[in-house]
Amino acid sequence: MQIKSLFAGAATLLALASAGSAEAQNRIKFDYWYGLTGQLGEIMEAHCKRFNESQTKYEAVCVGQGGYDTAEQNTIAAYRSRQHPTLVQIYDAGTVNFMLSGAIYPANKLVDDFKLNVDWKDYFPGVANYYATSKGDMWSFPYNSSTALMYWNKDAWAKIGKTTAPATIEEWFGDLRKMKAAGVECAFAFDYDTWMPLEQFSAIHNQPIATKNNGYDGLDAELVFNKTKFADYMKDWKKLLDEGVARIQTAQVGKTALQAFSDGSCASFLSSVASHGVVQATAVPTLNWGLAMLPVYEGFTRQNSLVGGASLWIMSGKSQQEYEAAAAYLQFIAKADEALWMSTVTGYIPITNSAFKFLNEVGFYNNPKFAGRELAIQSLTATPPSPLSRGIRLGNFTQIRAEIRSELEAAFTGRKDMQVALDDAAARGNQILRRFEQTMRGRQLP
Amino acid sequence: MDKRVTFKSLWLAGALIAPQMLLVFVFFYWPASQAFYWAFTTQPPFGGVNEWVGLQNFREIFADRVYWNSVQVSVLFAVASTTLSIVMSLVLAVAVDRQLTGYRTYRFVLFWPYAIAAPAVGLAFRFIFAPQAGFMAALNDAFPGLWNPAVNGGHAMALIVFANSWKMVAYNFIFFLAGLQSIPRSLLEAAAMDGSSVVRRVFDIQLPLLAPTFFFLLVINITETFVDSFGIVDITTGGGPARATDLMVFKIYSDGFKALDYSMAAAQSIVLMTLVVCLTFIQFRFVERKIHYK
Amino acid sequence: MIERTPILNAITHVIMLIGVVVAVLPIAVVFIASTHDFRTVNMVPMPLWPGDQFFENYARVWEKADFGAKMINSLIVAVGVTAGKIVIAALSAFAIVYFKYRLRMVFFWLIFITLMLPLEVRIVPTYAVVADTLSPFRTILDFLGLPLFVPEVNLLNTYTGLILPLVATATGTFLYRQFFLTIPDELAEAAKMDGAGPIRFFLEVLIPLSKTNMAALATIMFVYAWNQYLWPLLVVTDQDMATATMQLKKIVPGPLFGQPPIWNEAMAATLLVMIPPLLVVIFMQGYFVRGLVNTDK
Repeated sequence: MQIKSLFAGAATLLALASAGSAEAQNRIKFDYWYGLTGQLGEIMEAHCKRFNESQTKYEAVCVGQGGYDTAEQNTIAAYRSRQHPTLVQIYDAGTVNFMLSGAIYPANKLVDDFKLNVDWKDYFPGVANYYATSKGDMWSFPYNSSTALMYWNKDAWAKIGKTTAPATIEEWFGDLRKMKAAGVECAFAFDYDTWMPLEQFSAIHNQPIATKNNGYDGLDAELVFNKTKFADYMKDWKKLLDEGVARIQTAQVGKTALQAFSDGSCASFLSSVASHGVVQATAVPTLNWGLAMLPVYEGFTRQNSLVGGASLWIMSGKSQQEYEAAAAYLQFIAKADEALWMSTVTGYIPITNSAFKFLNEVGFYNNPKFAGRELAIQSLTATPPSPLSRGIRLGNFTQIRAEIRSELEAAFTGRKDMQVALDDAAARGNQILRRFEQTMRGRQLP
Repeated sequence: MDKRVTFKSLWLAGALIAPQMLLVFVFFYWPASQAFYWAFTTQPPFGGVNEWVGLQNFREIFADRVYWNSVQVSVLFAVASTTLSIVMSLVLAVAVDRQLTGYRTYRFVLFWPYAIAAPAVGLAFRFIFAPQAGFMAALNDAFPGLWNPAVNGGHAMALIVFANSWKMVAYNFIFFLAGLQSIPRSLLEAAAMDGSSVVRRVFDIQLPLLAPTFFFLLVINITETFVDSFGIVDITTGGGPARATDLMVFKIYSDGFKALDYSMAAAQSIVLMTLVVCLTFIQFRFVERKIHYK
Repeated sequence: MIERTPILNAITHVIMLIGVVVAVLPIAVVFIASTHDFRTVNMVPMPLWPGDQFFENYARVWEKADFGAKMINSLIVAVGVTAGKIVIAALSAFAIVYFKYRLRMVFFWLIFITLMLPLEVRIVPTYAVVADTLSPFRTILDFLGLPLFVPEVNLLNTYTGLILPLVATATGTFLYRQFFLTIPDELAEAAKMDGAGPIRFFLEVLIPLSKTNMAALATIMFVYAWNQYLWPLLVVTDQDMATATMQLKKIVPGPLFGQPPIWNEAMAATLLVMIPPLLVVIFMQGYFVRGLVNTDK
């Protein structure tokens, strides 16, 4: 009797288990690798979960790769052994490699082949162009996106009797010097990262970083940033530093620029809008601060700023079913509800007109927690992108950034004249570009 | 070094060494040979056609003064951190080996640094050595400009030497201790009976008998500091300021792993490997000569 | 050990204490960071006194990273690597030291050179080998014109694939060689006179003598294998096979814009991951005993 019921119990359990696994097996699975780590990695995981729970037909198998660079590296290693995922998250700087790889399934082709409901015009042009070919076809799906803003301490500005953020760089620098005179010890904190001063600055001032429209028109582009307004900008920063108005704040010093701003010791810094939530979570409670668009030099009209972050690439060589499942995922995360969710749990911004409209409609930007983030959209859509402000398409751009960074370190620590340092950085960067051109010989940028 | 007494059976020797050689062949030489081939080509990240360029990659490396800087920096780093970590660990091992009260606790705690994962070490060192925020900030308040690895290349080098030694001391300590404990107690007792003091015994008996371990650690430490110190640099100085801590292996990693220039990374690795092989060969040739194994 | 040397003992204690303080200070910082909440850990400077979030942080991280299951994976890998290394290295060192043949030094250097090429450079081709482990042999056979069938063996997402490439290095062989060379020739002579063959000599004389060195090697190799993350991140895509250090790597915030630096959790995870290696050290301490075997001449 007892044995019988035991058997019956076991049989039921077995039946249940097999039913469960049958359902799981019926789902069409696809692999998705992402690069983000820490809290943002958890959010990537959560996004997959939301997808898997939203329907019963497909299942996203999501695997964190422990970093943007390892995600790219691992995808390449796996692709070479035909073990790659269907979908992969690749950071902005990896775009060129993937465009030239011959290993991907272009996003616009997937949309056509699977008759997906994607309105390419809906994307903000500043976002779309960054991930599009020179002909304007989007080859990957923009995902976690951001742009640069200025963070300013309202109390510090109140000391010089101002209640609004500076709009021009001249005004900003004037404010900084006045604040210094008014007893603000550190009016501006910066680090050696090139994203803000070089890439975003050049975009909003419509200045070239390289010839051939920043590389969009060919792999034989040459760096020219050492001869543009950017060089003046850096010399001005150096002056501020020498006058004791600005400070270098890096992790090596002990405080990053963000930390120095959050604890109230520095009155302004430039960073991604995605840092908004971080400043909020770490700021001393008394900090009275706001966001502003990056200031522009007098005599320049503001151009759109650049998008940063990562996009999702579809890899070639997978089955129709896997593409179908990946397509379902891409459609899912593009929904306005999902854009709202992403904006709520991270500092990333919506990337389509319709999602932005939806966020406005539900009063997202009236929430004091998120107020000010709409400036990112304003900055990103300030003008239609020009050939110089649509993006940067240079080979091995991570290495070029590193070269510039090293030279900026030398200049800001007083080892080199700024102009000499920038000339050296451009020369070394050009060597990298020539190498890349040689490595990719015979391939054309789409 | 040859043994006077050896066994003859060749097939047995072959069988004994076969597993190791097989593993090394499949998981090291086969893949490495592919990477070697890349050094003479330009290899696109996703594969496909690669162009044979002969020695071009090497010519580019040797013509680059930044590369020579990284060679210089690496040699300095290797010498400084090997010396520091070997001396420190030897002193500690000899001290612990005296087996005074509480030596088990010391032995246990001294091993901790090796067990801890790299990112945490980076954060801790950043906290301790940051000129504006950490413990060193207090010193900087008293003596302005005393310590600033963010600006001063020498300080940054000192920082990575210290961080690396901190970890390697634990590693060396374990092996030195094992070496010391393999020295038979009777030898020391006999010397003690002859009236030799503790310190005398260290220099007359323990250190000479420790020579094989010392040689092992010397070679391993130099090799590791050249080949395996990417993590320490990445989390503390990032190669800066202005390339003052731009180690060869850090450059290989950033060129190959971050920038995906596999050919350049491969060519640099060959240079690095040649350098380390030469150094090791010199050590076997000149240092091992002085070691008496018995 | 025998005589009274109070001054020297005091000096010894001072040296060891300084060593301990230097060793522990950074770890103490890590520990303090792991007991604060998110806002406090990001204060500059961070408080030097532990906070009150100890249990919250550790419990949250334990659950988040699923350390229970992942540590078992890590344990299997680390034990596999350690055991494999200890055995294989002992065999190869024996073959190099106690046999005389022309290829001896060639073999030694072939093994030795594996230490000198960073993993990062060969990670892509090594992945290819693990995805199709017998491919080298297939290629060679094809080259020789021998059309033998060699099956595809894919070791991705397996313990074997995690373990074997980490076993294939030289540290162990070199260490054993150093130790074997210190062993008096008389022992081998005596063994030979007793009519003992090489295998009996190896098992009955060499191995017992090597105990302390083996313990040291095992300790180091266990930690080495335990702390690997680059290789597992690449080879493992199946979450059931993930190791603890991989999870740690996912918790530690990267240098990205908009990355909330949850250092309190990252530090808690670091210390949790560190516990098993420390237990191994405690366990191995038993083998660090002086002079059990008398190797005097």
